[in-house]
Amino acid sequence: MVGPTASLSNLSRADGSASFKCPTTGCSVLGSVNAPIELPARRDALKPEEATVEVFVKPGNTTAGVGERYVEGILRTMLQKVILGRERGFARRGVVITLAIIGGDAVERGDSYLTLLPALLQTALLALLSAAVPMSMTFSTALLAVTKSGDIISDPSPVDAKTASSLHVLAFSSKGHLLLNESQGRFDFDTWEFVRERAYSTCRGAVVAGSDGDIAMDEEGEEGRADGFIRETVEDHLHRDYAWKIDSA
Amino acid sequence: MSAPLILLPGDEVLRDHLPSNNSNPLKLGPGLRLLSQPSSKSKAGNHVLTATQAGLVTTDAKRNTVSILSFSNRRYIPTVNDLVIAQIHHSSIDYFHCMVTPHTAHALLGQLSFEGATKKTRPMLKQGELVYARVLSIGVGAGAEVELTCVNPATGKSEPGGLGPLVGGMVFDVSTGMAARLLRASSSSSEQSDTIDGLTVVSELGKKLESLGGFELAVGRNGKVWVDCSNAGDSAIKATIAIGRCLQTTDEKNLNPADQKKLVTRTLREMNLAS
Amino acid sequence: MSKEASLSVAEREFILEALRQDSRLDGRRADQFRPLNISFGEEYGHVKLELGKTRIIVRISSEVTKPRDDRPFDGLFNINLELSAMGSPAWENGRTNELEAYVTHVLDSVIRRSNALDTESLCILKGVSCWSIRADVHIIDYDGNITDAACIAIMTGLQHFRRPDAVVRDGQVVVYGVEERVPVALNITHKPLSITFNTFNEGHNVILDSTRKEEQASEGELVIGINNGGDVCFMSKFSGAPIDAMEVVTQSKVALDKVKEINAQIEKVMQTDLAKRAKKGMAEESRATNDREI
Repeated sequence: MVGPTASLSNLSRADGSASFKCPTTGCSVLGSVNAPIELPARRDALKPEEATVEVFVKPGNTTAGVGERYVEGILRTMLQKVILGRERGFARRGVVITLAIIGGDAVERGDSYLTLLPALLQTALLALLSAAVPMSMTFSTALLAVTKSGDIISDPSPVDAKTASSLHVLAFSSKGHLLLNESQGRFDFDTWEFVRERAYSTCRGAVVAGSDGDIAMDEEGEEGRADGFIRETVEDHLHRDYAWKIDSA
Repeated sequence: MSAPLILLPGDEVLRDHLPSNNSNPLKLGPGLRLLSQPSSKSKAGNHVLTATQAGLVTTDAKRNTVSILSFSNRRYIPTVNDLVIAQIHHSSIDYFHCMVTPHTAHALLGQLSFEGATKKTRPMLKQGELVYARVLSIGVGAGAEVELTCVNPATGKSEPGGLGPLVGGMVFDVSTGMAARLLRASSSSSEQSDTIDGLTVVSELGKKLESLGGFELAVGRNGKVWVDCSNAGDSAIKATIAIGRCLQTTDEKNLNPADQKKLVTRTLREMNLAS
Repeated sequence: MSKEASLSVAEREFILEALRQDSRLDGRRADQFRPLNISFGEEYGHVKLELGKTRIIVRISSEVTKPRDDRPFDGLFNINLELSAMGSPAWENGRTNELEAYVTHVLDSVIRRSNALDTESLCILKGVSCWSIRADVHIIDYDGNITDAACIAIMTGLQHFRRPDAVVRDGQVVVYGVEERVPVALNITHKPLSITFNTFNEGHNVILDSTRKEEQASEGELVIGINNGGDVCFMSKFSGAPIDAMEVVTQSKVALDKVKEINAQIEKVMQTDLAKRAKKGMAEESRATNDREI
């Protein structure tokens, strides 16, 4: 299987940017982050001590509609959890995240954004890293489909996703917390538990979780994992950016 | 030297990566924070140092500091004592309201925060004019105003030299990472070597353009470089453009010192400035 | 906040003085475009364009829909431009600004109203169904002259795009999948492009393809939409300092030369890309037959 590809800081005007291409769905997303900037007329924000996170999803070949607004809500809630909005220079300012779907098929009207959600989240994360927005932790995501026969497939193809009895998107933080759980379709709790375990292993390698919620950590070293991919992308780019420093050391 | 350490937000900085100089308290640069973790084993909380940005960990053993070098294209966030190039937006009775980075709140610069300024002698700056200033304070709390100054309040002099209005010349935009490098390169005295922080472009330009009368450079941490070649007479415009292009190309293409030298030679030849 | 941060006095003065000495900040001549780089995505009609630091993505898409009641023989064609914070921090997401309205107007006039795309050929069944072609323009990096850049990108996209084949059988419209029948190219009647001129120093300096900072320092702007045959399909001078009438005549000649040059470049990259696709398609076909034999 071909892994996803990504690159950082491709744009010159935005403070941070990233592009991400997912091979299974064929969609590519370009993300930009402008932060911290002044947001006019939002001084009455609910949390004046924190940064306001704004997410904008721009479909490739249609006009944005209800589906986009809905997925923006999911993204915003999730990203707000990891962005440190009280850090110096960020309080009461805006973090504007723009995600454009620049390749692949459009989400059909009325269809859910679930299949694109992992790509959107990964792009947003990479763009935030590229803009050096302070965050408490990173995260990785997994898309899983449960087929009619009860099998769990990771990264289902668009056809698999369409025929699946349920679809799940989960995101785990780099510390092992479950940050996001979006599902669609019919499934029972046992199935979801299997899905969670599978998602955890795609994201972070180890498959462990005690009944008391304590999570056994299994650190570093695994290649091909979702969180390893983010790390590699960042390391590659920083090595290039700081070649002058690293080489002379 | 150990392999470069690259961290992601949430990663811990392990103790053996910290400078071992214990005479001074450890200072944390941007991109790091100290968290106290209540641990069940020991009664005293455990302190861990974690990253909040992705970047390369750098330490300075002499000053006992540790910080994270993040991506160079990021937006500038004012920090006390940084030198910036600010653009006047408008003025009020007591202050000039200046733009440090576009689309952020204006920073304040006192009308009398200039060397030898009194009510009568203060500079009358108009909209769009530039000043080279130091960040005096960034305030406390959310949405606090940033204050700039062009004078050292203790001595009444414009220290470090060159603070104050920038007249004529041209400003070029570079990345904030490049601006930081240029500043470090100019502050560490050039007698040691021509290449500081992997930058040789400025000293190379200096050598090549000496016959034209040299040039003046002011670097702002906010990603702006002011260039003035007014000594160069008729070639002033061309020389300024050449300098700007060399700096921007070095930044965008992340050139190594050898390529920087080639770039300078090639650019000056193209502009018919080769001496 | 929908405006770019204003230029400093130093920058404005310098750009003007440099132009008086026939110099531009990036070393270009007055009538020189920045390096133009056009590439294609996987799908037909997916164009990635770079003009210096200005970067644009255009996606062309098609769907079957009902024609308008007053034009039963015509298909639909729309150009969609939305400026987002990605292109410039000055642009606010979900809020239209002046530039957006202006550029949309120019693109609409130069390409759509000049009938560059023959909408009658999009009709499938009179009054019942027709193709609706949509061009989505994404400005992902803004460094001036998005009008000309977007024009080039849309025209390239329209020429590159292939829509699925559709026929009418027993009064029913049948749309064939891309695998079933070779998709069809759009009917392009002519290839107009816009060329934007910016004037400086009381009209003494006229330059092409301004960067963002040059645009900000400019005193006036003239847009000419013209095709390879020299037919002017659009001309506008929205604002700024007056331009001498003779100047307009001379500049349309300059524009014609530029348009010919750019159209030739579009043609070249498109042929290269289509040839590559044909080769890949053939390779895949032979692989498919091989698979069957095994």
